[in-house]
Amino acid sequence: MQDKSLSYLLLVPAFLIVLATTLYPLAYSLVTSFREWDLTKQRRPGDFVGLDNFGYAFTEPGFQNSLWVTTIFVVTSVILTLVIAMSLALLLRRKGRMHTFTRVILILPFAMSPALIGVSYRFMFNPEFGVIAKGLGAVFPALEGTPWLASPDLAMAILVLTDVWHWAPYMTFMCLGGLASVPRETEEAARIDGASSLRIIFGIVLPQMKGVLLVIAVLKTIFALKMFDQVVTLTGGGPGTSTETLAFFIFNVGFKWYDMGYASALAWILTAIMMLISIWYVRMLLSERKMATA
Amino acid sequence: MSLQFQREDYMKHLTSALAITAALVGTGVSAWEATEGKPYDGETVHVLAVKSSQFEAHEARLAEFEEATGIDVIYDYVPFPNMKEALTTEMVAGGDYDVVSIMDQWVPSLQMLVQPIDEEIAGQSVDLEDFPAAHLRHGRVNGELVGLPVRGHVQLLFYRKDLLEQAGVEAPSTWDEVVAAAKAIQEKTDAAGIALPYGKLNGQNLMVWINLLWGHGGDLFDKNGEPAFNSEAGIAATEQYVSLLTEEKIAPAGSATFVEQDAVNSFKQGNSAMLPVWWWVRSQLSDPEQSKLTADQIGFTSLPSVGDADKTTFTNTWIFAVTEGADNKAAAAEYLGWLTDPALEREVLLDENLSEVVAVHFSNLRDDEVNARWGGMHSAAADALAAAEGMDFGDNWPRISEILETAISSLASGEESDTAAALNHAAEEIKRIR
Repeated sequence: MQDKSLSYLLLVPAFLIVLATTLYPLAYSLVTSFREWDLTKQRRPGDFVGLDNFGYAFTEPGFQNSLWVTTIFVVTSVILTLVIAMSLALLLRRKGRMHTFTRVILILPFAMSPALIGVSYRFMFNPEFGVIAKGLGAVFPALEGTPWLASPDLAMAILVLTDVWHWAPYMTFMCLGGLASVPRETEEAARIDGASSLRIIFGIVLPQMKGVLLVIAVLKTIFALKMFDQVVTLTGGGPGTSTETLAFFIFNVGFKWYDMGYASALAWILTAIMMLISIWYVRMLLSERKMATA
Repeated sequence: MSLQFQREDYMKHLTSALAITAALVGTGVSAWEATEGKPYDGETVHVLAVKSSQFEAHEARLAEFEEATGIDVIYDYVPFPNMKEALTTEMVAGGDYDVVSIMDQWVPSLQMLVQPIDEEIAGQSVDLEDFPAAHLRHGRVNGELVGLPVRGHVQLLFYRKDLLEQAGVEAPSTWDEVVAAAKAIQEKTDAAGIALPYGKLNGQNLMVWINLLWGHGGDLFDKNGEPAFNSEAGIAATEQYVSLLTEEKIAPAGSATFVEQDAVNSFKQGNSAMLPVWWWVRSQLSDPEQSKLTADQIGFTSLPSVGDADKTTFTNTWIFAVTEGADNKAAAAEYLGWLTDPALEREVLLDENLSEVVAVHFSNLRDDEVNARWGGMHSAAADALAAAEGMDFGDNWPRISEILETAISSLASGEESDTAAALNHAAEEIKRIR
């Protein structure tokens, strides 16, 4: 009993930190989302306005645009990250001379700050002096001088590219961890029976990786929903509003428009979306475990 | 501005500079002096300033002020892209800063951060008449003085003398001449005609566009405060601005996403022949650590006009204000008195070890030595400032600016092709602001 009390006591500092840094701001923003708060006129949240801020979101074009942009970004970046991470993991599973070196190199993109990635890619795609823009122009002369970030579609593609470049290595390591638990004997037996490599991957490896891939997909979805840093430093949400993700839009509403009530409501809509995905993820995991133990 | 014109211009203003100097001496404008008896000895003034070499030059000269007053001044700097958030945090959460630097466009929306200082400044021998009206107006909120201009800008057209000469053209005076000169330069050299920002960042793509709007006889809002930028004049101005990129093709590739610094970089790297931008950029343009250009290659003139219309310039001002929560308002005002002393500004302008061009006092803008050092640039700025009224920014300006810059960006990138529709859409959005 004494041990149990001590355990609870030791948890108190951590609990207090979480309370102060997460739960309190969350609760405060929830309260704010039901209030009018124009930061240019009042320092504290003002009148209670019920669901007005949430209702406004569904008539306000900026939110609808950012929701659409975020959907496109999340779907493409999650799918690409999964495919590339899994492919790299399958390649790296083979032990070779460059095995350790490759793994070390692979972690570098993930070690970089997202804001820095945005700035770097902005320079690299600059048609006047960017190394990627100039390189592509040298190999494909028709692309010389292409204003890569000036087209809405290309800007979105490059935003996705930077995000995949950032996250794919980390997800590759997760896939490698998953692959380590796939028994090699089954694959070898299939190979002896004449199965092709593709057949082995799609028929044996991937089905056994379902749980890991699900975790990766959900985590990557949540990370992608929060996409902010690279938008700020790479595209600024432009051209026009073509890369204005939801997180970026919420920041603008709060810190440019100074409409804190509306920004809080939008932040809670984003939180609700992420919570729904998380609940679905936990349920899927639990059902996987049940199937595994059945 | 051709060299000949620069000289004529310089001579023309030499006379008026002498007259103004004489007038200032006659009216008893005096340099700042510390309050007798060091009443604020031992107090500390915490300053939150945007990162700027001009402010660093002030900080480097603090010893004189600290010795004279006994006030300790501590500076913290924040880079420009993060400055507004820092000020917002300061306003909402309160903080330790007694004095803050605020850009003109943010002043109305941050008015809760600052407090009136009329009385305190009246005791500091600050000559408010020495500030151009376009700058000083941003130091007032609801008729009360809340801050004093310390950094202020006008726009100039910088150009490559060598490239213009190579192309056989004079420095342009109208936007039509800009197009003609740019095309001639592009024919004879590898450089793009003119570096312009069309991308989104703090309304930077509006700074040149707004001059075209004025030049076409339009304005942002009508007398009732309703959007007027979608008028025929506004549409013509916007089409002209965007066409420089899309039809005339005189701006560098990628300009659709250029922010101001990208345009400046393009000029500094020798990729563009002309650059309409704030005058403070001059110090970067021939800095060997940042630029491939030498001072001899760079000329400047006033911003081109639209046809025969008057020349205009957008202005930009940074004020220093005393925060509402300042612990020692009087000491902060004493510091502001020193900081806005024209003698301090002049010392920085003439410091051979520095490359600071920014001035917000007519007495320095018309100063012979200052103009001799900077090739008459300050005199040209003084002319522009004498005519410039500046514009008021409401507390919704940050959002309005974002809506407008998005419209320009959409048109430049091709995301939108109908100028009238894009401007009407922006006007509707602005009307919908709650």
